[in-house]
Amino acid sequence: MMHAFESIQIAQSGLAQLAFPSEMSNSVLAPYLFVSAAMFAIGLVGFLTRKNMIIMFLCTELMFQAAGLALIAFGRQHLGSDGQTFVIFVLCVAAAEAAMALALVVLLFRHRESLSASAWKELNG
Amino acid sequence: MEHIISPIALYLVCGIGAVGVALALPRRAQSKTIEYLGAIVLAAAFGLAALLLGLKATESGEPMPNFFFYPFAIIGIGASVRMITHKRPVYSALYFIMTIIASCGMYLLLSAEFMAFALIIIYAGAILITYLFVIMLATQAPSSDAEEKLDEVDAVAREPMLACGIGFVLVGLITTAMFRGIGDLPPVEMSQSQAANSVLAQLPKKVDKILEREGLLEEGWSVARDHETGLAKIDVDARTIEIVLLGQDSHGHDAVSSSRTITADEWPESLAANNLDRLGFNLLNDHPMMIEVAGIILLMAMLGATVLARKHIELEDDLKAAQARRLGTMFNDGNNGFDDGYDEPQATGGQA
Amino acid sequence: MMTASLLSKPLAVLAPESGHGNASEALANMVEHVGTGPKWVLLIVFLPLLGFVLNAIYAAIGNKSKLPAWTTIALLAVAFIATLSMFLSYEGTPYTVHAFDWFNLHYGEKSFVANFSFYIDKLTILWMLFVTGLGTLIALYASEYMSHDIGVGYCRFFSAFGLFVFSMSCLVMGDNMLMLYLGWEGVGLCSYLLIGYFYKKPAAVAAAKKAFIVNRIGDLGLALGVYLTFVHFGTVEYAALFSDDKLHSYINAAATGDFSHIPAQAQWIALLLMVGAFGKSAQFPLYVWLPDAMEGPTPVSALIHAATMVTAGVYLIARFYPVFLVSEFALPTVAWVGTITALLAATIGMAQFDIKRIMAYSTVSQLGYMFAGLGLLSTTGAAFHVLTHAFFKALLFLACGAVMHGFAGQLDLRKLSGVAWMKGWGIVGITMLVGCMNLAGLPYITSGFYSKDMILAEAFITPGYQMIGWILVFTAILTAYYTFRVFFRVFVGDQYCEPGEDFHGDDESHFHPHAPGWAINAVLITLAACSMLAISLAYISPDSHGWVGSLVEESTASFHSPYAEAAHHAHVEHTAIHAVDGPVGHAAPGTVFGMNAHTGMILVSGIGAIFGVLVAAFFHGPKGWQGLFLGGRTEAAKCRMDAVAARMGPIPHLAENKWFVDEIYWAILVTPLRVISHIFHWIDKLLIDGLVNLFGFLPRVFAWIIRPSQSGVLQGYAVSMAGGLAVLLFVVLVIVVRAGGAA
Repeated sequence: MMHAFESIQIAQSGLAQLAFPSEMSNSVLAPYLFVSAAMFAIGLVGFLTRKNMIIMFLCTELMFQAAGLALIAFGRQHLGSDGQTFVIFVLCVAAAEAAMALALVVLLFRHRESLSASAWKELNG
Repeated sequence: MEHIISPIALYLVCGIGAVGVALALPRRAQSKTIEYLGAIVLAAAFGLAALLLGLKATESGEPMPNFFFYPFAIIGIGASVRMITHKRPVYSALYFIMTIIASCGMYLLLSAEFMAFALIIIYAGAILITYLFVIMLATQAPSSDAEEKLDEVDAVAREPMLACGIGFVLVGLITTAMFRGIGDLPPVEMSQSQAANSVLAQLPKKVDKILEREGLLEEGWSVARDHETGLAKIDVDARTIEIVLLGQDSHGHDAVSSSRTITADEWPESLAANNLDRLGFNLLNDHPMMIEVAGIILLMAMLGATVLARKHIELEDDLKAAQARRLGTMFNDGNNGFDDGYDEPQATGGQA
Repeated sequence: MMTASLLSKPLAVLAPESGHGNASEALANMVEHVGTGPKWVLLIVFLPLLGFVLNAIYAAIGNKSKLPAWTTIALLAVAFIATLSMFLSYEGTPYTVHAFDWFNLHYGEKSFVANFSFYIDKLTILWMLFVTGLGTLIALYASEYMSHDIGVGYCRFFSAFGLFVFSMSCLVMGDNMLMLYLGWEGVGLCSYLLIGYFYKKPAAVAAAKKAFIVNRIGDLGLALGVYLTFVHFGTVEYAALFSDDKLHSYINAAATGDFSHIPAQAQWIALLLMVGAFGKSAQFPLYVWLPDAMEGPTPVSALIHAATMVTAGVYLIARFYPVFLVSEFALPTVAWVGTITALLAATIGMAQFDIKRIMAYSTVSQLGYMFAGLGLLSTTGAAFHVLTHAFFKALLFLACGAVMHGFAGQLDLRKLSGVAWMKGWGIVGITMLVGCMNLAGLPYITSGFYSKDMILAEAFITPGYQMIGWILVFTAILTAYYTFRVFFRVFVGDQYCEPGEDFHGDDESHFHPHAPGWAINAVLITLAACSMLAISLAYISPDSHGWVGSLVEESTASFHSPYAEAAHHAHVEHTAIHAVDGPVGHAAPGTVFGMNAHTGMILVSGIGAIFGVLVAAFFHGPKGWQGLFLGGRTEAAKCRMDAVAARMGPIPHLAENKWFVDEIYWAILVTPLRVISHIFHWIDKLLIDGLVNLFGFLPRVFAWIIRPSQSGVLQGYAVSMAGGLAVLLFVVLVIVVRAGGAA
């Protein structure tokens, strides 16, 4: 277990900038991916479960988050900056989407005075 | 293909996690105990996963992730679970902010410092604030002791079992696929030094500044530059830097008067291209179009949001007509140039 | 066995020299020389059809005069004249007259030929004479009788009348069984149309339907008989049939009493044709339609249900006599059924109060006599009885019709009395008396006596049929009784009348009976005269069998009982045989009470008839009047019979209700059929409709199962999408694992 914590010492040295990130092994990558998948699934569950439209969109933002984490993790493994670039883009799109979604939610709320997604059932049957 | 963790164990972990989430989801008249129970189960699942991963790592001799990864992960997943299970929307948003902070921490561990803080600024500072505004506009949540007045919209989850089941299956599948496929990942294309080399070479001024700070550059000396490309002549692998002294030659043009090479043992430790540099160069060199497209997307979003959320104001018919006439006179000569600006409403309307 | 012994002698008589194998020679000789006749014979058939078409046109143009009647009378009179010419110009051999081809199919070696052509021989002429004659007379009667219906109804009546005479002519004159069937169905149709003439009266409509349906049952037998004839003999034409070698061989076999070699198919033909005859001629058990048919107008009852249509059965059996001879059980069955019918109908007739009903039952009874005659091998007797019965029964019906017409539809004999003494009703009274005398068969002075006597005598001189004879004698007594019951109650006595249901006035006491006009009186007189003149027909003849016998003998119906011959011989040798007292069986065969059959019969039936008349006079006759009448009846409604009937227990009640035969049929036949039809109706509704509806229902069930997935809620769709994704991924991963073969 000792060599697993060698990075603590580096951090303790004032968080000096690493010269260049070293290669990452698979076993280090795996937990990040697990967390990303778990966050994605939690976001999905939240989207399917909650009736409040705003919370539903918040859950989609969580899914974006998870995707971003996975992108950064893989980008780190590839030692380039592509992952981070893509995450900038994802962030941009998420912002745009949040704006549109909230505008729509406000509009819908005005019509029905309710934030419930189940209120819009006209395509029923 | 070898599995990091055997699939059965993985599915088991995911299943326990799903149970935990399902228990934690809000229902009418739900006792607190069940929610706590759900949280505990979830923690147990996560702990189990961590344990398995750790065991695998120790027995195969491969390194485990940074110690700080674990707190951030726990906080991240815990906060996201709390976000989806909380009854009040504002708390959900706040827990999401906590999730973002945890993500930020993990980004830092992954050497993506810029993205980490950009995440905080953009996500937590802009998007989530917007969400909070809209939540406060739309929701009237009662005080904490009147639980019964909570809108059913927030209080009851729909089909928790089915959703958690689907979620669990998806997590299991995704992670199985990822873990199985990890061994098949293509090898890293560029070598460490290669990546660093290209970036540093494009930052001669920065190199100058750092060398000067380190005291390796005398007065008038600077890093040698390539004539055609303008790149600094730095070799990261061999850890050498060429520095030159620029002077005037007989004709008055700039010419190299003397040059020296800084060797590897003189290499300053602080000379490195940081994340920001690399990211910037990658963004503008390799993906310039993306910036433009991103800008257009944001513009469209702004316009769209403005148009969509506009309030429609009902005018009386005669006022509408006056408005239309006024608008019409703005663009043509009609009305005999008679611009009264405002018409009196007809006598039939609204006499008290 | 009875028929066997019956046949052996006469066939031997017919061909004494040749011995075996020539019994059919007479038949062969007869049909051998069938020639072609003159075309004007077709007028007899097609003129009534023309009348049908013209009357239909009159109805369409809205004629409101008596023109339809005059048209029909004229056309029928011309047809009668043509028939007379046909009779007078007949040269002794049968001939056919071809109108047009109907079915003329030849395939391979077989053929089916049934053309629209007519076969004329003496039997045909006999029948056509009284059909056209009576048709003309009754059309004349109907021209006055139906005059209150002038307009569309009048035209409808006479068009159906014309159609009827056309159908009857086809039936009688057709030269193949298909023409017979055509006429058979046609007369059935016209009977339906005419019984239901007053179609707004539910009773009339029900009676018409009953007549048609009961006739249909008989028609089934007839149709099967036609089919079987074609199957067995290969032809349905008379000429070909009666010259068929197979038939001749059967007749020869039957002559020797050997029925075992005659195939069952051939024997069944006669039985099936017999069923048809029973249906049309109202024999037991298919007689129930005839009394109800009295709902039709009286001319219809007179023509169709007394004189012509109901004799179609008799004609059928007479025409196909050779076929009937060949069957072992057909003729005995005919005889017994006829007898039973006669007795049954007579008992019912005795207890009815509606005079037309009484006459209807008497018709059924007399038809039974005719059938008995046919079964007893006395076709001459049967044919003669047909002729005389046609006259006097038509006369009786028309007289009753005159009463009905004049008294606004009153037919109950408890409400009429002394009609003959009313002003203007004298002729009706006298002709009614003539008719009643003929029906009762008063000896020597009535033609009815002679015709009945022929049949009765045959019964007694034929071994094994003596029982029939006694039953028929008893029936004759009953006949006399009920006939004169009508006469004594309605026509003599103190004058009294009540108007019937057609009376629309307010006060019954101001009702005056409407005396019949010249048309009715003329017809009644003519018919009475014909009835009396028919006596002579028993005597005018080239031989001892009368004019009718001469006609019948030279047709396919020829058969005269050998026992008549034997009886004649016995008469000649009478002096050698002494009268022996005691039961008939101990006397020598062919004798009655030891006397010659005919003489004995005259005595027995004559005494019986007079006895019946006296009994009727005693019970129903009026009081006083020159001391001639024995009865004590002073009012119309009551008589001495009432007291006697009260003491007879349930019998009068049963007889009045027709022995509940109709009700029995209803319970045995109609109700089960109705139950079955209801069952089938429910099976159809539940099973079949249910099955079809189930097929329509299944898509709805399917949709009902699937519809909840279209909830319209966003998250519902999202759940299904995510779930689908999960399943898909699972499948892909599993397959990848399997395909990759990794653990």
